[in-house]
Amino acid sequence: MAAGVAAWLPFARAAAIGWMPVASAPMPPPPRDKRRGQDGLIILNVSGTRFQTWLNTLERYPDTLLGSTERDFFFHEETNEYFFDRDPDIFRHILNFYRTGKLHYPRHECISAYDEELAFFGIIPEIIGDCCYEEYKDRRRENAERIQDDEENDNNKDMVLPDMSFRETMWRAFENPHTSTMALVFYYVTGFFIAVSVMANVVETVPCGSGPNRAKEVSCGERYALAFFCLDTACVMIFTVEYLLRLIAAPSRYKFVKSVMSIIDVVAIMPYYIGLVMTDNEDVSGAFVTLRVFRVFRIFKFSRHSAGLRILGYTLKSCASELGFLLFSLTMAIIIFATVMFYAEKGSTATKFTSIPAAFWYTIVTMTTLGYGDMVPKTIIGKVFGSICSLSGVLVIALPVPVIVSNFSRIYHQSQRAEKRRAQKKTRLARIHAAKSGGANAYLQYKRNGMLAEAEEEASKHAGQALVCKSNPTFETQHHHLLHCLEKTTNHEFVDEQTYETSCMEVSLAKPSMSRSSSMSSSPHGLSSCCTRRNKRKSFNVPNSNMVAGRRGSIQELSTIQIRERPMSNSRSSLNAKFEETVPLNSEEQSYITAAVISMPTPPVTTPEGGDSSSSHNFLQSNIVRVSAL
Amino acid sequence: MGALMVIFSLQTKQRRKMTDSVEDELELSAARHRPEALEQLEAQTRFSRKELQILYRGFKNECPSGVVNEDTFKEIYSQFFPQGDASTYAHFLFDAFDTDHNGSVSFEDFVMGLSILLRGTVQEKLNWAFNLYDINKDGYVTKEEMLDIIKSIYDMMGKCTYPTLKEETPRQHVEIFFQKMDKNRDGVVTIDEFIDCCQNDENIMKSMQLFENVI
Repeated sequence: MAAGVAAWLPFARAAAIGWMPVASAPMPPPPRDKRRGQDGLIILNVSGTRFQTWLNTLERYPDTLLGSTERDFFFHEETNEYFFDRDPDIFRHILNFYRTGKLHYPRHECISAYDEELAFFGIIPEIIGDCCYEEYKDRRRENAERIQDDEENDNNKDMVLPDMSFRETMWRAFENPHTSTMALVFYYVTGFFIAVSVMANVVETVPCGSGPNRAKEVSCGERYALAFFCLDTACVMIFTVEYLLRLIAAPSRYKFVKSVMSIIDVVAIMPYYIGLVMTDNEDVSGAFVTLRVFRVFRIFKFSRHSAGLRILGYTLKSCASELGFLLFSLTMAIIIFATVMFYAEKGSTATKFTSIPAAFWYTIVTMTTLGYGDMVPKTIIGKVFGSICSLSGVLVIALPVPVIVSNFSRIYHQSQRAEKRRAQKKTRLARIHAAKSGGANAYLQYKRNGMLAEAEEEASKHAGQALVCKSNPTFETQHHHLLHCLEKTTNHEFVDEQTYETSCMEVSLAKPSMSRSSSMSSSPHGLSSCCTRRNKRKSFNVPNSNMVAGRRGSIQELSTIQIRERPMSNSRSSLNAKFEETVPLNSEEQSYITAAVISMPTPPVTTPEGGDSSSSHNFLQSNIVRVSAL
Repeated sequence: MGALMVIFSLQTKQRRKMTDSVEDELELSAARHRPEALEQLEAQTRFSRKELQILYRGFKNECPSGVVNEDTFKEIYSQFFPQGDASTYAHFLFDAFDTDHNGSVSFEDFVMGLSILLRGTVQEKLNWAFNLYDINKDGYVTKEEMLDIIKSIYDMMGKCTYPTLKEETPRQHVEIFFQKMDKNRDGVVTIDEFIDCCQNDENIMKSMQLFENVI
């Protein structure tokens, strides 16, 4: 029942007076009115915009935030109003829901922002009115697809799992040819051979001039039979090898065998083997010739090489119902018109319309406006119906085509968007990492200053760090104190990149066997890559090298990121200089760095490498650093 | 051929739509109403100023144009009785509220009716009820009229009742009613018979008090 109708309840109760005189039993006592006179204006201040409404309006929906006692949490005594620090534009729609009982979705708002507001105010999105429901659902689906696309791409493309078996590397090479040169070479070679095979099939049938012993012309296939046979053999061998390799490398062989591409592969190479087997048997040689037709399916192998072809195939699959409708309506029309034409032309002499099936050909040719002219009606009534046939043919075929076109366009644009997003993601992530590392450096620099609470002055001195300098020094001090507590808890320290890399180089030089000891699937590969790229001058003693190895899970992602960015080098060098003098711990003159944990959280791109002991560490850090980067 | 028929039917539909839209526009512009001033209504009815404000706000919320036509009236009333069919009873109610019989209930009609029902004397209420029952407004309530009324009340119950409704239940109910009310056994109930009888009936008197505190 709409909430507005509640206002008419007194009227409905009054109208019940008509039942009284005819009532067969006495009436029940009326309910006692509990809350009377509580209708007053209530002020809702949403980020400065004041909304006012009757208290009763809000009470209509007691299971939402505004309708229940939950709003008391937002009551602001000084101004005697309810204050919400939310978006006033979207709040307008939410308040309208209370007033009219219908929730509308504004088309210009972002769908996730709107969903968040709805969740905050405790309103379920399913009650959105019919007028806006379709649009809401469409936008939501689009958003979900976008997020799904992102996740898929993250998981698949850029991950360099160092411990991948040969089988997994092979599969990855097959699926993403641009990842390694070998894969790329293989990709182009197969493409070339597909083209060669198709060309050979085509050229085989071209007449090649009469042979020396024969009177009539022969096709090239028969003249140079041996050459073509060799070419075919070579192509089929390459295809077979490719298919077998894919089969071996596939993570799920059953799923691979069921997939469309593998079926196309099989169909492409089967005719050759069948032909090898049954060349001597005369009876089935007819069937053998038919099999050669299947060789043309090799051209479908190109769909692995072309995204556009795949999109086309996907579109046709998704428009199956429209295509089905087209086919059905065409069949109906063909049968109708063929019947009509047959009976119309029955009278005329020497007519080509010998039967209704014979008239099918005429109908199809006319409806698709081909008009070969091999069958034409001669009677007047035949011509009349023939023209009606061709006019309706144009219409029936033109109707479902726009639907298919729009589907194709939507899917194509979606794939374009995915490509663009992937390209932009790299730059976007690089910027985010720069910001995050800035936050981390702030802490390190705070430590250099001997943990004093003069962080604000120091921060202003280092102009390079001004990018992430916040105007909230209390927050900074407390945050730095927290990081310091963490260091004391774990008995490890935060260091900056260069220090870390030098230490890791030391580790790899000193104890190469240690790299195997980590429980996580981390990479010696990652370490070596990081260390070979940077060449540091100082050498550090690393007493707790096993700890370092243990942290490698988090570290190896760091290495890939650090290489990408080059934050403020000038301040870094000064930091290093200071670092040398301020931190003596051991009796040795070199410094004490044990931990190689850098306060960089696992970035959202690469999935975190499991890991138990450092995962909590990472989690904490990721929490912390994310706050500071805000 | 099928295509031709499709084109033809589309054409006629378009033409019909155009004429409809012109008529609709005229209708929309005509149906607006502003009620009399608050003071006047206060004088004419027995509601206080505040009550009138609340009533009007509810009224205007549901019918922004200011008048209720029969369909809207039926729709609103049916929302209170989801199991059955309240449209017939709503029709009778509409006729009772629409005192000037112009096919629409304005806010004045609405509030006058409510004033009698909720704040009126017993005599006035009974008068109003009689007016409701007297469908053709001739001063007499016949058995057929009463049957219609009682059937519409039973319709509001819907199908799922206990005990199940039978065909002759309304008729029996009418008989009982007439036995009670029709003193001179002439087959019709006049207003005096009705008021007389009701005032002597305890149950009816008690139930008349029930709806006093509705607002």
